[in-house]
Amino acid sequence: MARILIIGYGNPLRGDDGFGWHAAQRLRETVRDSDVEILTVQQLTPELMDPISRAAKAIFLDAAATGEPGHLSVTPVDPAVMGPASFTHFATPAGLLAGARALYGSETAGVLVSVAGADFSLGAELSEAVLRATEELLDLAVRDGCWVLAHPA
Amino acid sequence: MSRQKIVIDPVTRIEGHSKISIHLDDDGRVEEAYFHVTQFRGFEKFCEGRPFSEMPSVMARICGICPVSHLMASAKACDAILAVRIPESAVRLRRILNLAQIVQSHALSFFYLSSADLLLGMDADPAARNLFGVIRANPALARDGVRLRQYGQQIIEWMAGKRIHPTWVVPGGVNEPLTAEKRDLILAGLPEAIQIARRTLEWFKSENERFREEIRTFANFPSLFMGLVGEGGGLEHYDGKLRFLDAGGHIVADGIDGAGYANHIAELAHPWTYLKTSYYKPMGYPEGVYRVGPLARLNIIDGCGTPRASQEWAEFRELDRGAVLSSFYYHYARLIEILYALETIERLLSAPQVLDKNVRAFARANNSEGVGITEAPRGTLIHHYKVDGDGLITWANLIIATGHNNAAMNRGVLQVARHFVHGNRLQEGMLNRVEAVIRAFDPCLSCSTHAVGRLALEIELRDAAGEVVDTVRQ
Repeated sequence: MARILIIGYGNPLRGDDGFGWHAAQRLRETVRDSDVEILTVQQLTPELMDPISRAAKAIFLDAAATGEPGHLSVTPVDPAVMGPASFTHFATPAGLLAGARALYGSETAGVLVSVAGADFSLGAELSEAVLRATEELLDLAVRDGCWVLAHPA
Repeated sequence: MSRQKIVIDPVTRIEGHSKISIHLDDDGRVEEAYFHVTQFRGFEKFCEGRPFSEMPSVMARICGICPVSHLMASAKACDAILAVRIPESAVRLRRILNLAQIVQSHALSFFYLSSADLLLGMDADPAARNLFGVIRANPALARDGVRLRQYGQQIIEWMAGKRIHPTWVVPGGVNEPLTAEKRDLILAGLPEAIQIARRTLEWFKSENERFREEIRTFANFPSLFMGLVGEGGGLEHYDGKLRFLDAGGHIVADGIDGAGYANHIAELAHPWTYLKTSYYKPMGYPEGVYRVGPLARLNIIDGCGTPRASQEWAEFRELDRGAVLSSFYYHYARLIEILYALETIERLLSAPQVLDKNVRAFARANNSEGVGITEAPRGTLIHHYKVDGDGLITWANLIIATGHNNAAMNRGVLQVARHFVHGNRLQEGMLNRVEAVIRAFDPCLSCSTHAVGRLALEIELRDAAGEVVDTVRQ
């Protein structure tokens, strides 16, 4: 069982929305730690409850639509049951944690690492601000290990 | 009492964006009902001028749920333009990928979108009628659903590189052979997946009695059925020939290949929807209305071809003397197809040829036209392209499963509305049944966007002057 599960998600064809996707891809290339499992997905889906349930900590990497471009924030995520339309077209980190707890009895802790985006228009490139934040995040993870991502600054 | 209109907008727990309007007469009785598809994509037009070799990867982008289906039909249309016979191993690998798509998509439809209706009932609290409600009421069923979809998606990722919008299937074959390691990973998951499919079928059959009224009224009417059949009339999702069957179980047309589809299928457009409506050309519209998808496939075949699915199919066929007519049984057919798909994947993977390294034929465009037909999870999918001398697309026509089913879905909505909608007081159970008949068909309206926030569902009952008489929200 990987102790840390990193899920990077977003649309890599919508500019900074792809932050989580790009960051997770880069982490997969650089992190060599059997305690860390890294997934890149375009959106969160119910199947992720299974790998989440097998991790001690789930780190969600996502872009934020608001905030100073490039600003990185780390926020704990508590499990929370989603509303009536849950899991039809989208899922949330809190909903997946709640589902993993209900289905598999897991006590996985969650944290959301987000970077505020500047440009969400069509394109495969990250903006300069988000690119810089991504590099800093990767440097940190490589230097101090992925656990560092799980702790609010 | 003045004429009124009820609008359900949007329809929830389906793939895409749509609404339903129900028109009442002066006495408050349902006069007409429409299923409106409100999104517009335009793929047929904007691909003009692109090299045909790009079409599979472009067409996969039509949808995030069934990209593999479009990839497959598009690649087959391109094979026809190349005029090559693709390697047998490539056919085998494409078949496995297509069946994995059937598994994951059917699992999504049954467990994520519809099981809440089946488990909790149509009249259950809408706040609980979702996957979380299923998790609370029957966690074992929810775990099975998550596992089965995960397995289907995982096969797609192992074989094609990624779960959504893979590009592994190319004109002439596939772009990489299967490794023994990946084959073994897929095989290792099969026993559990088959167990899940079998116990879900048993559960569904045990629950059927609770839904007598829905079985009787959910798009339960005589129509034609269409789909691909394999050699000997067997269940087929990748290749084969088209067959039309009538409600009495008699074959109306058979052995129709890609070149002949246009002689049998015509399309028309309604002003109230972006979704085209298909019908059986020789009978005209509306007499030529037909259904496609799991229910149609199990109706038109002469046999399933795998041991466990064949047993289930024999039981299924006992439901009616001719074709099984109630669209409620789409759910049942979906589960039988999952079992068939898993058994067939096992058979295909067990042959040593599956690891053959020769997986692609190369050629330039040798035909100016190509048609690719496959069975997507929701029904028959047709891609038809024409190219110029440089291999650039000059014309494209796509007929998707939901278009084939459009007329039947509309008729189904009308039938359910007439049965459940009365007067000017709206009830939640009514609202859900009108939606649920659409859900039974599992239409895919090519949803490729991330939804933000809570999806609003609202029915408004308005009088002729546009005044709201009653509203139901969830």
